[in-house]
Amino acid sequence: MKNTKNLLFILFFACLIIYPFVTEGRWLAVGITFLIFSIVALSEDIVLGRAGMFDMGHAIYFGMGAYICGILNYHYGLPIFATIPFAIIIPALIGICLAAPIVHLRGDYLLVTTLGLNMVFLQVLENDAFGLTGGPNGIFGIDSPSIFGFQLMSQTSIYYMAFIFFIITLLIIKNLEHGKAGRAFHYLSQDPIASQSIGINVRFYRILAFALGAGIAGAAGVLFAIQYGAISPEAFTFKESVLFFAIVLVGGPSSIPGILIGTFVMFVLPEVFRQFDTARYLVFGLAMIFAMVLRPNGILPFKFGKFPKFVREK
Amino acid sequence: MSLLKLSGVTKVFGGLTAVNRLDMEISEGQIFGVIGPNGAGKTTVFNCITGIYTPEGGKISWEGEDITGLQPHQIATRGVVRTFQTIRLFSKMSVAENVMSGRHFRSKQKWWNTIFHTPKSYKDEIANWQHVKENLKYFDLIDYASHPTNSLPYGIQRKVEIARAMATEPRLLILDEPAAGLNDSETLALVELIYGIRKQGVTVLLIEHDMDLVMELTDYITVINFGEKIAEGTPSEIQKNPQVIEAYLGSEEDDD
Amino acid sequence: MDIFFQQIINGLTIGSLYALIALGYTMVYGILKLINFAHGDLVALSAFIGMTVFAKILGGDASLFAVIALFLITMAVIAMAGVALDKAAYKPLRNAPRLSAVVSALGAGLVIQNGIMLTWGPNVNFFPGDLVPNIVWNIGGTVVTFIQMLILVLSLILMIALYLFINKTKMGTAIRASAIDKDASRLMGINVDRVISLVFIIGSALGAVGGIFIGMHYRGITFEMGWQYGLYAFVAAIMGGIGNIPGAMLGGILLGLFNALIAGYVSSTWTDAFTFLLLILIIIFRPTGILGERVAEKV
Repeated sequence: MKNTKNLLFILFFACLIIYPFVTEGRWLAVGITFLIFSIVALSEDIVLGRAGMFDMGHAIYFGMGAYICGILNYHYGLPIFATIPFAIIIPALIGICLAAPIVHLRGDYLLVTTLGLNMVFLQVLENDAFGLTGGPNGIFGIDSPSIFGFQLMSQTSIYYMAFIFFIITLLIIKNLEHGKAGRAFHYLSQDPIASQSIGINVRFYRILAFALGAGIAGAAGVLFAIQYGAISPEAFTFKESVLFFAIVLVGGPSSIPGILIGTFVMFVLPEVFRQFDTARYLVFGLAMIFAMVLRPNGILPFKFGKFPKFVREK
Repeated sequence: MSLLKLSGVTKVFGGLTAVNRLDMEISEGQIFGVIGPNGAGKTTVFNCITGIYTPEGGKISWEGEDITGLQPHQIATRGVVRTFQTIRLFSKMSVAENVMSGRHFRSKQKWWNTIFHTPKSYKDEIANWQHVKENLKYFDLIDYASHPTNSLPYGIQRKVEIARAMATEPRLLILDEPAAGLNDSETLALVELIYGIRKQGVTVLLIEHDMDLVMELTDYITVINFGEKIAEGTPSEIQKNPQVIEAYLGSEEDDD
Repeated sequence: MDIFFQQIINGLTIGSLYALIALGYTMVYGILKLINFAHGDLVALSAFIGMTVFAKILGGDASLFAVIALFLITMAVIAMAGVALDKAAYKPLRNAPRLSAVVSALGAGLVIQNGIMLTWGPNVNFFPGDLVPNIVWNIGGTVVTFIQMLILVLSLILMIALYLFINKTKMGTAIRASAIDKDASRLMGINVDRVISLVFIIGSALGAVGGIFIGMHYRGITFEMGWQYGLYAFVAAIMGGIGNIPGAMLGGILLGLFNALIAGYVSSTWTDAFTFLLLILIIIFRPTGILGERVAEKV
């Protein structure tokens, strides 16, 4: 069983690696966006799937990363790679500030609050705040990233940059799972009172979840900005937040393969059916209902019970 | 040596005074019992001690430090850990993972270890799982290590909750009706378990309704009724106390 | 100063619409603890259905009888749609994790929204404009139209009727009981499934009234308008205290007034931001809403 799983993973990564050599144009772009959205979905999963907080405003941090990259590059001439640390740290810090007053809220109230924050963020972007955000048209003319003077302009090079970010994200999440914080998220999402009573600082870990989720989403934002060379508010609305929210639940909260399948189902499949243009979203909506009714815990639900073998041995 | 001291603790909910100016003192090494009829306010007292409620009046001190109104996790990290009347395990998780939650604040990992592990943090992981293994062995739970706790019999779940609390290496273990729902042989096993815990140097404070267990196990008892202390003393003193008898059975006049 | 009263009238009007729609959200949440994200799309659907009923069934006839029939037929259709929605997308998930039903609701909303688009096209449709007399009153500079008056009066009547129904009838008590504890209600002999269907019927019918009013007042209707109104109405329900029926009414009116005053006095491009900031502040300082109940957890 474990060997089949490992084999599938290796196969999956092999496919990802050779992908740009067997596709081009639109499908390569879909592949890049798949990687970007997977990263955002995994970051949403930290908050929603693992720490159990109903975050329906995650597009904020994705958008922040994209806009920080765009603003620093377009208005201040910073090279793309130099914007990356800012696009990670600033959303993380803002995530902490936004989360601090709201993490104690009961589920549905938190949902509405994060939704509200998303709407506020959107208006800030649309109103060309500080003359930096470019209003409803956003910012275009963002550079391509360059290393040692080489411009990474082709879709293939952007793909591999996204792939590297993707791998790093996976490593971080795997790492999280095998540490006290990752476990703490599970504990506090199941029973905050029991968690408190054995010494877990629930408030700290909830805010930490938001910070991590925000930072990773911010990094994905940079990729988005590079991929399109332009950013506008309509990519970071309530609808996008709902998409990431749904990916986590349809795929399987806390489950890495589940989230990847969720991203595939919720984003790539609709692209496949683009030719049936008008009925596309209708089918999509039906698929969401079916997915939840048939697999209420997600397509590939997470299973507890993983710990070092030696603990079990006599 | 006095470990936990409650002075004049009062807890009010709206119009109801659930706990009224309660004094209680627990010394190191004791097995201390709190008894009283249903609804007397016993669990409320425990909730005040462990920080789930903040009392409106009075003071709670632990090892000389005033801990009144601290957050529950702050009290737990000071060595005061509890179990719950209704058993609050992480029901979808395995026994081993539940016990590991007790090792959380003993672990020395830092927040940045969420992003990358260092050799130190990796060693810390292994050391804590090792602790879990020792804990499971001691409580005879190794066979259940990978079972989700919601699939286990009630008596085993109780043991897991105590095992989880003990994994935190507490100084004071607070047990809220640990024998509830246990049959006779399970109760006997529980008595042995608690003696074993005391032998490890942990002080025990418990609420119980099973009088045989209380009289056998405890060194000292406080009796609460309607939120107030009506008696305290050794088990044999309490058994003979007329107010205690009245509180539980009603007075002679009621029989007319 | 005269824009103040104008904005009050505008605010009360849109607020009444929000209140009617918010009632659907709050009643369903009260009994199922589910945010019915598809509700806004049902409201949009009602506007389109109303438009079609008027044209096809009533033949464009604008008599009082016809207008009443328009309301009743549309309300009936949407009420049935609401019950069907529950049976298809929510009932199978009664015992599933709460968020699964939320995703199902989002999917159902998409289905309804795109169903509208496929049926009536992606462009703006126009709701008939001559259903009610086009009288306009001018009171010292403040303009009030017949439609606005109609909305205010009819909404008030419906809200009072609902309040009386919920608090003074046996069925209303059954609804309140089921919202507090479904199992205990079942043990008391209440057919909770019937109660749930009734809640969807009432909530959807009220939403349908709101949808028709939106059509009458704003004339232009699109398949996407459900999300916009739905979101605001949902916010109103939360502000008032989700699950709390008078709260939804109050929240709707207050939200409408706040919106209108901000648009009038501050800026119309920042209305959303101010509204949601208000919501966030209310939730932080009064976590269960203005009229909401405080629920303590027994440990």
